[in-house]
Amino acid sequence: MGLGARGRRIEGKTEGKRGSVNIVSARQSASGASIRISRLEKRFGAVSAVDGVDIDIAAGEFIALLGPSGSGKTTILMSVAGFEFPTSGTIHVDSEDLTYVPSNRRNLGMVFQNYTLFPHMSILDNVAFPLKMRGLRTAERHARAEAALATVRLAGYGHRRPNELSGGQQQRVALARAIVYQPRVLLMDEPLSALDKNLREDMQLEIKRLHAELGITVIFVTHDQSEALTMADRIAVLRDGKIQQIGPARQLYERPANLFTAGFIGEMNFVDVRVESVGDDVAVALPWGETWRLPATAAVEPAVAGEAAVLAVRPERLQLGVSPAGQVIAVTLSDVVYAGAALLLIGHLPDGTEMRARIPGASQLSSLVPGDVASFTIPTEAMLLYRGKRR
Amino acid sequence: MTEAGRSHFWHSDGRRLSGLSTLLLLLPFFTIIAFVFVYPILQLLVISILEPHPTLDNYARVVENPVHMRVLMRTLWTAMLVTALSVVLGFPVAYYMSRAKGTVAALVAVCVILPLWSSVLVRTAAWSFLFQRNGLINSALMSLGLTSQPFKLLYTQSAVVIAMTHVLLPFMILPIYGALRSIPNDYGRAAAVLGATRLRTFLEVILPLSLPGVVSGSLLVFLTALGFFITPALLGSPQEMMISTLVSKQIREVLDWPFAAALVGVLTVFVTLLAIIFSKMLRFDRLMGNAS
Amino acid sequence: MKPPTDRGSLALGAYVYAVLAFIIVPLVIVIPMSFSQNDYLAFPPSGFTLKWYSEYFDSRQWRAATWLSVQVALLTALFASVIGTAATYAMIRGHSRLVTAFQIALIGPIIVPHIALAVGLYLFFQTIGLSGTIPGFVLAHTVLTLPFVVFTMAAALGKVDANLEAAAMSCGATRFQAFRLVTLPLVLPSLASSALFAFIISFDEPVVSFFLSGVRQKTLPRRMFEDIEQNLTPVIPAIATLLIMLSILILLGAHVLRSRSVTR
Ligand SMILES: Nc1ncnc2c1ncn2[C@@H]1O[C@H](COP(=O)(O)OP(=O)(O)OP(=O)(O)O)[C@@H](O)[C@H]1O
Ligand SMILES: [Mg+2]
Repeated sequence: MGLGARGRRIEGKTEGKRGSVNIVSARQSASGASIRISRLEKRFGAVSAVDGVDIDIAAGEFIALLGPSGSGKTTILMSVAGFEFPTSGTIHVDSEDLTYVPSNRRNLGMVFQNYTLFPHMSILDNVAFPLKMRGLRTAERHARAEAALATVRLAGYGHRRPNELSGGQQQRVALARAIVYQPRVLLMDEPLSALDKNLREDMQLEIKRLHAELGITVIFVTHDQSEALTMADRIAVLRDGKIQQIGPARQLYERPANLFTAGFIGEMNFVDVRVESVGDDVAVALPWGETWRLPATAAVEPAVAGEAAVLAVRPERLQLGVSPAGQVIAVTLSDVVYAGAALLLIGHLPDGTEMRARIPGASQLSSLVPGDVASFTIPTEAMLLYRGKRR
Repeated sequence: MTEAGRSHFWHSDGRRLSGLSTLLLLLPFFTIIAFVFVYPILQLLVISILEPHPTLDNYARVVENPVHMRVLMRTLWTAMLVTALSVVLGFPVAYYMSRAKGTVAALVAVCVILPLWSSVLVRTAAWSFLFQRNGLINSALMSLGLTSQPFKLLYTQSAVVIAMTHVLLPFMILPIYGALRSIPNDYGRAAAVLGATRLRTFLEVILPLSLPGVVSGSLLVFLTALGFFITPALLGSPQEMMISTLVSKQIREVLDWPFAAALVGVLTVFVTLLAIIFSKMLRFDRLMGNAS
Repeated sequence: MKPPTDRGSLALGAYVYAVLAFIIVPLVIVIPMSFSQNDYLAFPPSGFTLKWYSEYFDSRQWRAATWLSVQVALLTALFASVIGTAATYAMIRGHSRLVTAFQIALIGPIIVPHIALAVGLYLFFQTIGLSGTIPGFVLAHTVLTLPFVVFTMAAALGKVDANLEAAAMSCGATRFQAFRLVTLPLVLPSLASSALFAFIISFDEPVVSFFLSGVRQKTLPRRMFEDIEQNLTPVIPAIATLLIMLSILILLGAHVLRSRSVTR
């Protein structure tokens, strides 16, 4: 399997030399490649870091890998980049099998967490480095590197040394270096986690803009869910090396596929219930003796009569007061927190289960004090039912 | 002395010691360095130019006598050879060590550090066993049928070079290891993903960043090799002396003190000059930090 | 498809283990030789005997040399660690403008060839009658070991927050009490390991000992030198084995101290 199988590129000066990498033409508008990760497994001794992961990424898509620490995000990315060879499974980029191709011949762009600008080279030489590796002439190299620096709005910084730039600027240089040879895939492992919050938001926009401009396929690793939700077309939620759910942000947030995702993405209230019967609707018994009838669509996972289940509802879906549009609960408030845009109410259901509500624009309700018993309505369509017990 | 300076001298301000205590604590250190290090060496230098009468004759004897010049050149050449060999042998070990983990890393570290803290005499003696007519190397060569006659290995300059490389290798490995350890793994990965082959990653990224370690190790090995005594004295040939063995001969057999002092002067001044020129690049603390 | 075999890494590994063998084999080879029954040091060693060890332990000369070296090394360890620690502490916590002088005094004994110092001291000690005496050896070895003590102690003391002593003094401690009760316990493992290193450097030191030893007062390295130079008896592998064991013990001790240390 040779690189020649892939089209759309012009050759660098050292065409045909072993180990040289070809680059996509500047004239041809670069665009993303599709990526297919199939049945990927990686074990480190007894630890299964990645455990049967399948992801299909469309050309030009922006996908985020999201999961708690140790869930295998980095390992997946390292396998795509070629720094780890998987125990089993394959990685295809545009139908070319790259599973065991050395990283320097994959022609992927990558941005690391800690910038990794080479400290002994100027900014321009850093950005020109991949072009040098591809055998381009100095003049051409510098022209392209300058252009790439301009795309990340750092034109004129070329002569500086990495340690003369701020963290955000360094990460932008790293970005320029990763795209200067117009790779069709850009890999990023928590690229913003070393930056402070404001810079992080700037960089998020910068990356989004570049993605839109270049049409490059992006795999973005993060453990910051709001980053994933705002940036990615689709998000893959990982846990213990397994994919929990892949989907667009809205789907993940509004209809998490399982209890883990429900708890991991955003805030969620959970109540343990027991399924009494399943028919046109689902009847569940609540801990304090009530029985509610939920629409069959509330059951994300098939409900089975007689089994334990968990009822989930987002705090911002609770409505203060009694309304016929849903089920009514009585909550003994323990905390009333003014949180700017919304009022956060924390309290307990009759059985002691904690319940949170976020009531927007509700500062006029500040008459509520801890100890009050408040009634909330849970709209029928806001309720989700999962199998199992809450942790 | 200013008013403030005066009061610091007598009183401590909580975080800092008073000047008086500082002085008292430093006194033994500087006294012993002055009397047991600086004075004896200065005395030698003085002898080399004042005895038998104020003259540079002793130095002229070093430079003008071709036999002595050859000794100087041999010393220089041997030190360079040992340094070059140490880089070639030591760099890959340091690189491997810096990337190894767990048991392997511990094993390699023991192999490098144990010799450093074992007697030079033991290591030199071991080489004289290996180099003997009926030693391990000759028996191995003969049983492999590579030679029918044992080689003369002991008391040759090759024996000196090999054994000195062996003794000084840890001084090369540890500084390089220190420099390599401070290069994050991601640099190599970044270079690779940007299209660099392993060789180019090494040449363009790893090597330039580890150069301070290489320079520091090379200086350490080179400077130590120049004055090395034990190994040349025990493994070298009397016909191929090094400067240290020549000094020893002058003192123990010829009893020519002024000339010996001039030889020591040449060696000391040369080494000191090099150390001053490259003082920025010598990192001794690294050696100790890794050894302990 | 199979992961490709990584020839580069294999080659590097092979090279590295070959070099490690070059480093370690000459060191361990003396161990089997020390048990060999051959009277001449041929290879491979044959049989098993402890006679070389008993020859070493029974010899009055070897015992005297060893005892001299032990005394010198113990005193050197004591001197160097106390003087070195005091100086390091003064440099780190004091008002001193002697930084440059201090650094030169540290680097000097490492850089200046031992043969130069040995010859200089030989001359100097002869005139003041210290040649071949325990104080002479101890003074010389203290100079050689001070830099190692200082590097170790500087690393350790540098990690102790100066505010700890200030805090102790604000509780009413004198400066000395603050040092003794706060700083010293924190750096004690490093102090002990620097003493260990000073001991082994002195115990194994060959060059200065070579020139300072008199006809009767010979350190162990000097005796070994003569033996290797003149007749290379099989006692040498036995002594070498013992010395390697000593080095291992010292390194183990330092390792244990280091893992105990708070200021690692
Ligand atoms: N080289 C390695 N050797 C042994 N185990 C490893 C190695 N690399 C990763 N692991 C293990 O594999 C699992 C997944 O690690 P990975 O780094 O992929 O997680 P992650 O999702 O990136 O976590 P984080 O958010 O902390 O970066 C972890 O349990 C980790 O300990
Ligand atoms: Mg990670």
